Amino acid sequence: MIPLGAFIAVSAVLFFIGVAGVLVRRNAVVILMCVELMLNATNLALVAFSRKAGMIDERGSVFVVFVFVVAAAEVAVGLAIVLSLYRNRPTVDVDEVHAMKG
Amino acid sequence: MVPGPFGLDPALWAVLRLVIAILLAVGLVFNGALAQIYLERKMQAIIQDRVGPIHTGPWGLLQTFADAIKLLGKEDIRARLTDRWFFLAAPAIVFAPMLASYVVIPFAPGIMGADLSIGLLYLTTLGSMTVLGIVIAGWASNNKYSLIGGLRSAGQLISYEVPQILSLVTVVLLVGSLSMTKIVESQQGVLVNLLFLPLAFVTYFIAGLAETNRNPFDLPEAESELVAGFLTEYSGMRWGLFFVAEYGEITVVSSILTALWLGGWSGPGVDAHPLVGPVLGVLWFTLKTYFFVLVFMWIRATLPRFRIDQLMSLCWKFLIPVTLTNLLVTASLLLAFPETKVPVAIANWLMLFAFMAAVPYFQRRRLASLRERLETRRAPALAERTS
Amino acid sequence: MSFDILQSVLFALLTVGIVGAAAGVVLMKRITGSALLMAFAFLCNAGMFLLLGAETVAAFQVLIYVGAITVLILYGVMFTPQQDRRYGLFFQTQTPWAALLVAPIGIFVAFFAFSFADPGKALPGGGDLVPLATSVFGDFAFPFEVASVLLLAAMIGAIVLVKRDEE
Repeated sequence: MIPLGAFIAVSAVLFFIGVAGVLVRRNAVVILMCVELMLNATNLALVAFSRKAGMIDERGSVFVVFVFVVAAAEVAVGLAIVLSLYRNRPTVDVDEVHAMKG
Repeated sequence: MVPGPFGLDPALWAVLRLVIAILLAVGLVFNGALAQIYLERKMQAIIQDRVGPIHTGPWGLLQTFADAIKLLGKEDIRARLTDRWFFLAAPAIVFAPMLASYVVIPFAPGIMGADLSIGLLYLTTLGSMTVLGIVIAGWASNNKYSLIGGLRSAGQLISYEVPQILSLVTVVLLVGSLSMTKIVESQQGVLVNLLFLPLAFVTYFIAGLAETNRNPFDLPEAESELVAGFLTEYSGMRWGLFFVAEYGEITVVSSILTALWLGGWSGPGVDAHPLVGPVLGVLWFTLKTYFFVLVFMWIRATLPRFRIDQLMSLCWKFLIPVTLTNLLVTASLLLAFPETKVPVAIANWLMLFAFMAAVPYFQRRRLASLRERLETRRAPALAERTS
Repeated sequence: MSFDILQSVLFALLTVGIVGAAAGVVLMKRITGSALLMAFAFLCNAGMFLLLGAETVAAFQVLIYVGAITVLILYGVMFTPQQDRRYGLFFQTQTPWAALLVAPIGIFVAFFAFSFADPGKALPGGGDLVPLATSVFGDFAFPFEVASVLLLAAMIGAIVLVKRDEE
């Protein structure tokens, strides 16, 4: 039997890879991808905890459904922002977009 | 664990069953594609008053086999500027989900890969994965026609998934299960779902045509405007894989139509005998499925292609509102009269007739407004010329 | 070959897939490669859900993440063709900070995670569709409706943002 901790550990590793990606990569689209990875890590943790002690507590899965909704909304709006940014100035590098910086 | 026949070890039997199932599915897909290509060519020929393939074998029956052997023997061409790994991966990404969807297709009682409790959801899930392969194929080809074809296809497939799933949900509401076996078993005798949900059938059929990139929705691979779209740079067996996947997809959509609306394997003689019954079931299922396949081909020979904006407005302005209304009405009627299907059937038939009446009405109104706009634009010029 | 060993092997393969693909997303220079690897990580995650017996969630995961979100992101990648950066990807100012932040917390959390010794039981298939549906449309009906409003708002927002001004 696979212990619950193993699933949580995979989830933690995935989450921190996502965090590192958001911090290191400067391409806005890649940053969106890394945020998706982090959301996926939370999904894995939620489903794993909803199976604690071998019984189904479906509330974990319900929250996963809400995470799906949030992820879809986030990607749609995020990509729209990236595209309109690209239209004004042909770059998606977040370092080069500092017109509003004081 | 299911104990195997002939005293086989259960684990060994599980592995063996897997291998047999995969081989059967692959054989089914490829042979189905060969048969369908032959059928399609003959059918087009009859409709267009030609003879079709006649030279290879009796009635040209061996023509598609010869074509397949030719495809296998062709040189595997890869243009230098294509994105190597994506170019190689794309046909597999299109083909694999189609193959995997054969797992839940109910051929006859007991003759199916696995009776998943989420069978229908599984099928829609796999259908949505095809988009990825097509977009990647378009991108990796490094060709503007391919790219346009891929992007068009992504927009089309994602949009038409919505009315498709909404139509399926209507059936699921009526039956109360996502399992393919339960859906088929719920339609006893002649009381098939087609009698209760004709509108959902029509909307699913239209969306299914779009999902399989068939005429009149074959914009992603439009030969005359996009030189075959995302298929342009592919040749040999890689191209063949896309082609087989398309025919496999048609078979999957047809079998969903059969299982959900035409009672699947049910037909005369299926319950009669424990040994003959399943064979007859497979026969009925195949006959019904190929009926729909033939309708797909008939439509291809009859209808012209849509323009991309017409395609999108058909989906978003017409199909999605219609399917949503249908879902709402069906759900509320089922809530109001939980023990009888008759009100649902009446409402659905009425909505179908309204739907069929609305199409020409809107068409005429749109044409009239177009004509009016043209007249107003042309009026000053005309007045100038006559004065 | 017992089912237990098979499960462990599957878990190991999926773990390698998830972690490898996620690392690839961060490290790969080509953005299309990152997008495809992200889709692969999502698929492996769906496999994890299957191992946990949550097949409905796994199906939704593939439907939404692989079928919709990856395609959207590929769209984004294709519409924003990139020139190469003038300076290197790594050894910029953020990297040491990222390492400082991620490594200690990550290691701590991973160790902490293994303190959940509770064995995750293999559940019979087909168990999670009905409870999930009853829960979503019963106890969580109101949040579910709010989520649909959020989606609608996001859709309208995206259209407004991307729409070109009429000349």
